[in-house]
Amino acid sequence: MTFNLRLIPLLPFLGAAILMLFGRKWSRDTVVAVAAGAIAGSCLVAFDAFFTALPLAEPNGLHDTVGTWISAGPLKIDLAFRLDGLSGLLCLIITFIGFLIHIYSSGYMEHDPDYPRFFAYLNLFCGSMLVLVLGDSLPVMFIGWEGVGLCSYLLIGFWYTETANADAGKKAFIVNRIGDLGFLIGMFLLYQFAGSLNISEITTVASTGSALMQPLWGSTVAFWAALFLFVGATGKSAQIPLYIWLPDAMAGPTPVSALIHAATMVTAGVYMVARMHAVYLLAPAALAIVTAIGALTALFAAVIGFAQNDFKKVLAYSTVSQLGFMFVGVGTGNFEGGIFHLYTHAFFKAGLFLCAGSVMHAMSGSGDIRIMGGLRKKLPWTHAVFFVCWLAICGIVFSGFLSKDSIIAGAMSTEHLGDWAWVGQAAGYVLSLAALGTAFYMSRLYFLVFTGETRASDEIKHHIHESPGSMVGPLVVLAIGAALAGFTGLPGGLFEHPTWNLLNDELSPVLGPEMEVSRLTEVGVMVGATLFALLGIGVAWVFYGGGYREPSRKFAAAVPKLVKLVQDKFRIDELYQFLFVRPIKRIGNFIYFFVDRILIDKIMVGVPVALVDLFGRLSRLVQGSGDGQRYMAIFALGAAVMVFLGTQPDLFGSLKVSVTGRTVEVDARRGGKPGGRALEYSFDFDGDGKPEVEGASSTARHDYASPGSYTVHVRIKDPRWGTSNSLEQKVEVP
Amino acid sequence: MPTTYYLILSFFLFLIGTAGVLLRRNALIVLMGIELQLNGGNLALIAFARELGDLKGHVLAFLIIALAAAEAAVGLAILVGLFRGRQTVNLDEITLMKR
Amino acid sequence: MPEGVSGGDAVVFWILAAMVVFFAIFTITRKNPVTAVMSLVGTFFGLAAMYATLSAHFLAVLQVLVYAGAITVLFIFVVMILNREEVTPLSFRPMRVIGVLAGFYLFIKFFRVVWVDMAIGPPAVPSESFGTVSAIGDLLFRDFLYPFEAISILLLVAIVGGVVISRSHQKEVAANRAADYRKQIHELSSHDYPGAPEAPAPEGHH
Repeated sequence: MTFNLRLIPLLPFLGAAILMLFGRKWSRDTVVAVAAGAIAGSCLVAFDAFFTALPLAEPNGLHDTVGTWISAGPLKIDLAFRLDGLSGLLCLIITFIGFLIHIYSSGYMEHDPDYPRFFAYLNLFCGSMLVLVLGDSLPVMFIGWEGVGLCSYLLIGFWYTETANADAGKKAFIVNRIGDLGFLIGMFLLYQFAGSLNISEITTVASTGSALMQPLWGSTVAFWAALFLFVGATGKSAQIPLYIWLPDAMAGPTPVSALIHAATMVTAGVYMVARMHAVYLLAPAALAIVTAIGALTALFAAVIGFAQNDFKKVLAYSTVSQLGFMFVGVGTGNFEGGIFHLYTHAFFKAGLFLCAGSVMHAMSGSGDIRIMGGLRKKLPWTHAVFFVCWLAICGIVFSGFLSKDSIIAGAMSTEHLGDWAWVGQAAGYVLSLAALGTAFYMSRLYFLVFTGETRASDEIKHHIHESPGSMVGPLVVLAIGAALAGFTGLPGGLFEHPTWNLLNDELSPVLGPEMEVSRLTEVGVMVGATLFALLGIGVAWVFYGGGYREPSRKFAAAVPKLVKLVQDKFRIDELYQFLFVRPIKRIGNFIYFFVDRILIDKIMVGVPVALVDLFGRLSRLVQGSGDGQRYMAIFALGAAVMVFLGTQPDLFGSLKVSVTGRTVEVDARRGGKPGGRALEYSFDFDGDGKPEVEGASSTARHDYASPGSYTVHVRIKDPRWGTSNSLEQKVEVP
Repeated sequence: MPTTYYLILSFFLFLIGTAGVLLRRNALIVLMGIELQLNGGNLALIAFARELGDLKGHVLAFLIIALAAAEAAVGLAILVGLFRGRQTVNLDEITLMKR
Repeated sequence: MPEGVSGGDAVVFWILAAMVVFFAIFTITRKNPVTAVMSLVGTFFGLAAMYATLSAHFLAVLQVLVYAGAITVLFIFVVMILNREEVTPLSFRPMRVIGVLAGFYLFIKFFRVVWVDMAIGPPAVPSESFGTVSAIGDLLFRDFLYPFEAISILLLVAIVGGVVISRSHQKEVAANRAADYRKQIHELSSHDYPGAPEAPAPEGHH
């Protein structure tokens, strides 16, 4: 069934184009109206498609083919969009949260002179993200993939006049390039072996299996394709080892962090794995790797989050950690679980980031939680929203509770990993620990920011105020989402009411049926996770309730080196600097000094110049007038002389004469070698001007009637060039 | 028409170009003479390509056209530079090669 | 009339040949450079038509685009910059006349060699794809890839060279002069004598 899906990404693109062209001249209200209007229109179309058209279009979803993009031999790629339960859900998240963040930004960015540019980029981002999600084939998806990367770069470095921001943008871009290379290789592999880049066609090929189960490099095609695609996902979704760019990306404006670096773009990797689930299901080993990376990232980033002192940095590591959860979800074949967490996370993390923006707005732009505290009363709305989102991310009652449990329970009881089922179980335990960590660092954040006394200077304290309505409004909507979004995915198995799981209704036609989890596991995980979360909150209260308490000081004093190590993010950046950046720089320097400066500049440029100079000096000695045309004339003359000489049959030749009695034999063959040219010879033995022998043969014989002295004349003609030579020789006949 | 005729024409074109190059005083016309020579060569290549049924002649002619473009660009740039320095493009007055 | 040649073909050939030769001679004999360039365009168009009769459709188009289009425009521009009519366009210095005569000798030789040896007869009818863009493109990007890349580098170098050669150096000369002046002032001011002028700030810092 077709639907005008192109409108969904087109509207934000148009908004971006209009704002880039004319935004500078317009008032702020007009700019916001255009930007938010574009995304609102896109949102309405998406809602219409999802709720009105999609139910009628089962099971293949909605299609829209704009035209042929690439057609080269057997490769044919359409610029086509597809909306099914999976991409539709993502579309709703992007357009709805995108809309809220546009509204929020109108307040947050109020005093920024580059207002139009910001909204143009934001619209461009939404359009690209929608292309990524809706793309019907991997290359179309890749347009969006690169487009969001570009927008991410542009928005991280939005305040580019500060070098640190520009550097953070570059870091994000370069680290993402490494991942994109993996994505491309995965794409090439799939094209080579599945014969298509269209996602539904790849899914069909994968369901028959054989084409992707061919052996390749010691494993199967499916394994390598899945692994390389996952490399792309680790870049975009900030997983080990490519997560390092995301914390730095917080240099961008806070709405950007909320939209791009929490709710939407960074989840693209999870979405991509879910989209390509057919390929991943063929390769349990690849799934196990995804699970392991996800679980490690979840725990590792949570631990780093313990000691960060910047509001947004804590949230950034939290995002990395939560993305790890999602990857465990999709990695254990529990695709619904992963997407479910993506969906709830989008609400509560966007809410948390926007709260961060609101708090920083109030704190005169500072994000240092060491000087905050006691903001509960001063920022009541922000506090309420943060409170809801905090409970949600900790996994208590609100949306994070169900989605996180669904992932952990799925990991415990997965059957998709085959021989690697233990990886899933281990990941389940690791995630439980990570959930404990999450509860701890989020509660630390909450207690340090909102409880106790404000530790800031009086001047900052004096300025603390609640944010304007344009910022609070979206916050409240997100809080409602964070509270309730989880209940669209009630685990059907637990309540024996499959219809309660609304989310599953949409996702199962695309991703297959919901994972079977025994009721015991489900309940056990729920109870265990809640206890873990309460434990985390409790520990955080002991350490940080109402400000830095005695135990936290004692702890920091007891193991200062450990705290410093965690604060320095385990010095992974420095490790990469040492392992990759510095060697590459050294190679670059070497190439610059050796190849460029010495080999090219000195040897390859210098030596020919010296030679030309030398020959020039030498040849000047024999030069005449210095008149170029004269040289050319001589050149032409030389050519003529060469042709003249070269076309003569035998200019300086001689005859071989042998006399036997009165018989004389003459050989006119040049140099004694057989000539390659068709020549004509005429022999005149008696000098009367009439040739006795004629023909193509170079030898002739003649019997003289009487002895005496004769002259033999031989005329050699080259009929092709019209040249001739005469040779003669005296003969004594006895 | 037989290839012979095309070849003779191409030689003649080359001869005209050569005469232009050798006899004209204006460097600009000399460059045009060079273009005529190159075109003469091209005509021969294309005529032979058809004679032999071999497209390599076309490829060579293609490369020569690109070469001629490069030659014209640099040659004319040199002329402009020369004119700027000496206010003339009369080759009788430009005898820089001996110095 | 050789065998196997229709009268129409011959008429077209002779008309085009006459046009090409006429315009070529016109090109090298005109005093006014604009007339010369226009005659050159005429030659190019005649040759393009001739390429078409030789089944070289792609090159015919290219001839019009690159020669009659781009190169001619380049010539016109330069003519505009240095347009001056000459009093005596031709210089019959002895050496040059000898050179032309040598060229004529070569022409006679080559004429003879193709004319006398009529082994080069009427050609075979070329295949359907002969001279099409796809056939040439195929050859160009497979067998002739390296020459193709080389020629593209040549073009790049020619562009850079053209810019470097024809660019005006006046600004650099002025900048050098200004730098020298600043240096002098600086040296003078570093000597401590009464009334030393203050060193002006280096350019770019306003």
